[in-house]
Amino acid sequence: MKVQCELCPKICLMQPGQSGECRVRINVDGVLRTVVYGYPCSISVDPVEKKPLNHFLPGSVILSLATVGCNLHCKNCQNWEISQANPEDGTAPAEFWPPERLVAACRQLRCPSLAYTYTDPIVYYEYTYDIAKRARQAGIRNVLVTAGYINEPPWRQLLEYVDAANIDLKGITEEFYRDVCSATLKPVQNALVLAKAAGVHVEVTNLIIPTLNDKPEQIRELARWTRANLGAETPLHFSGFYPRYQMRNLPPTSLATLEDARQIGLSEGLNYVYIGNIASKQGQNTYCPACKKLLIERSGYTILQNRLKDGRCPDCSREIQGVWK
Amino acid sequence: MTRRKFVRKILETWPAAGVVVSALARKASAQKAKLRRFVRAHPMGWYPGPVKPLQDIHKQSKWSG
Repeated sequence: MKVQCELCPKICLMQPGQSGECRVRINVDGVLRTVVYGYPCSISVDPVEKKPLNHFLPGSVILSLATVGCNLHCKNCQNWEISQANPEDGTAPAEFWPPERLVAACRQLRCPSLAYTYTDPIVYYEYTYDIAKRARQAGIRNVLVTAGYINEPPWRQLLEYVDAANIDLKGITEEFYRDVCSATLKPVQNALVLAKAAGVHVEVTNLIIPTLNDKPEQIRELARWTRANLGAETPLHFSGFYPRYQMRNLPPTSLATLEDARQIGLSEGLNYVYIGNIASKQGQNTYCPACKKLLIERSGYTILQNRLKDGRCPDCSREIQGVWK
Repeated sequence: MTRRKFVRKILETWPAAGVVVSALARKASAQKAKLRRFVRAHPMGWYPGPVKPLQDIHKQSKWSG
């Protein structure tokens, strides 16, 4: 009997024994099975700034996990060895970690939050959901790092247990999503709007790839969309591209391009625009949108100083949106 | 072929075309009935690849994100 997976907009139709595009959801005798439930390929204690999240418990550590598989196939994927891996190939490690073991480890390691990241937590949805539910009960915060390519009903259900999300907005045209990511733009925009509406702390990442999505007008449109639909207080990260996977023919993004993108974002009315994946003095710091004073100084993933007082600028008392404690 | 002959030919074959169309529709509907839709997947309970230990979880990950 054929099975249709309605988790993500790909709506994969699977014959018995076949998997979906994500490689980890399989039709076994007419039942949809997830083969990665309980079997992460990576667990690490990371700085929260690495996700990247700049307005969520700055300076804290976050227990981060992933299983293999992804529902997108971005030609530039930096983690393609795990995102595009087949579980049965054994190219990535896999160890049994049931949800309760992860929550216990999080407590033991004194991590205030858990991140579902590296590949895409959408494809290990059931595992993410079960861990997130237990973590919430244990007072641990849940963070998703995702491309946001998911259908609305399961997304709404998962958001109930999510505290923060960094969602990629990989481009602002359907052509980019189709040609580079084998996906579509609209569901991602919908996921972003829904997450914000659900009260989740949302930060957006846009990876700028030379010649593909680096035109100033594309960056302006993306910043405009972000401001109009998610609000001026939403942090936007412009990340630098490095030649990887099936896109080794393009050069890395220059610092100048990223700095120009940051200026465009700020000129479009976004209050917090950051530069990532490349060293940048101003592009890593948080400044007060009202009095322009330095609030959080960063160097890479390290916090050099944090002047925020109860989530406000100490100089002009302006509230800075984020989760600070 | 004249227009009149063409129209007559169409009218003659119409019942046969109807039979084919209805057979195809029946087949499609039967296949649709056989399709099962899922949002949530059930855990498999075992891993299809080799189970290998993870790296030291205390260390920062080499993966992006």
